[in-house]
Amino acid sequence: MDENAICEGMARGDPRAFRELVERFKKKVYFLALDMAGNPVDAEDISQEVFLKVHRSFSTFRKGAKLGSWLYRITYNAAIDHLRRKGAAPEPVGDEVLESLARADGGLPRRGAADPGAALESSQLQDRIARALERVSPQEKAVFVLRHYEDYMLKDIAACLGLSIGSVKSYLFRAVRKLQKELGPAALITNGDVS
Amino acid sequence: MSDCKKCREHMIEALYRELDPVHQDLFERHLAACPGCAAEHAGLAETLGLMAKRERPDPGSGYWDGYWDRLSRRMLWEATGDDRRPSLAARISRLFARLPRWSYQAAGAAALVLVGILIGSRLLGPGGRPVTTASVTPGPASSGSPAVVQAGDFIERSKVLLLGLVNFDSAVEDAYALDLGSKQAVSRELLAAAPSIRNGLKEPGQRRLRDLVADLEVIMMQIANLESGQDLDGVELVKQGVDRTGIFLKIDLDRMTRDSRDAAGAGKPSGAAGPFKKSQV
Repeated sequence: MDENAICEGMARGDPRAFRELVERFKKKVYFLALDMAGNPVDAEDISQEVFLKVHRSFSTFRKGAKLGSWLYRITYNAAIDHLRRKGAAPEPVGDEVLESLARADGGLPRRGAADPGAALESSQLQDRIARALERVSPQEKAVFVLRHYEDYMLKDIAACLGLSIGSVKSYLFRAVRKLQKELGPAALITNGDVS
Repeated sequence: MSDCKKCREHMIEALYRELDPVHQDLFERHLAACPGCAAEHAGLAETLGLMAKRERPDPGSGYWDGYWDRLSRRMLWEATGDDRRPSLAARISRLFARLPRWSYQAAGAAALVLVGILIGSRLLGPGGRPVTTASVTPGPASSGSPAVVQAGDFIERSKVLLLGLVNFDSAVEDAYALDLGSKQAVSRELLAAAPSIRNGLKEPGQRRLRDLVADLEVIMMQIANLESGQDLDGVELVKQGVDRTGIFLKIDLDRMTRDSRDAAGAGKPSGAAGPFKKSQV
């Protein structure tokens, strides 16, 4: 089922189209939510909220628009809302999700796992990067992730998130500066990859 | 590129190679002449290089395989407005606590009718096969608006469909006897009809009926989305959802409410026959 067929099916209320949409975009939505929220439990919750919203209000989807961009925008807004709410009260999570995530955490793929030294170095680098990202605001992270990992152009990010191009550049610049500050020369030396 | 300020304005676009060739050329010439901007650019580029080494923690195939099921369950919870997800027993007791005394008597009568329908569908259905679908027509006593009549038809058809599913026991019955394909076809018909029925129920007193249609719509969607053929695990999940939401109880309560309204309007005692009759199984 291509993207047009999914959109047409969703407009008709075809449940197969909704399932196809979820299967196709669940990882993209989850990973953006994960990057913004910083933990898998919130990412699960946010990504589900996104698909619930899509199911309830697909009529607001503009015909001809990119489904992926629309979903990113909903994810961005849902993550911001979720994090605001969470500031007031943390939400409970089902045991099965925690178990599933716990299982996954034990099996994280690390580059160079065959070489204990390289694995340790890689692990330290990942921890440093994770800590550095914690210093970046959710909005800055969303822009950074879309540009750096999803390869969206700046103007596309602006359209996708409903921001001005100036705001996008500003968020991105601030994000990169914060990351640079947090990672610093020590990280570069520890990693040994950057001269 | 005449000064460092302009250079900084274009820094991000330059780092991601989004500058047009003319500006890129000016930018690079400025870097060649300005050690401060060149150092800043090199530092940011190094940071981006480092961030490219980031590995996102993937929760694994088990997590992704169960994603749809978890989302479906949450849709059921959301549809019933039950964010705290309490146990079935707690929810039923909460529901019963709100009911007047007469409703217990009517519930008993409705339960008897339900048993009758079950036995009838088992004994009188073609070849003794499980219930697969039903065509329900409004009875002569029906006194609601067209939207309410449509909703009643929708609910009764959904109920018969669900009965066929919840009464299927995969331990003793062959999966082919379930005839899942035809049930999915009926669920799709019902799904297609549900939005207009819900939209027709706009009166303040129709909120409960509208919610019930929405609950059933979610369950119909689950059925329609089962893997075609013999998705017995999916069927079990639907059965759990039906159990968790207490949907049969809600259907019976809705029917009792409509019965009593019809009876009050017609000046006769409320009965279990109801305004909708099952004409074909």
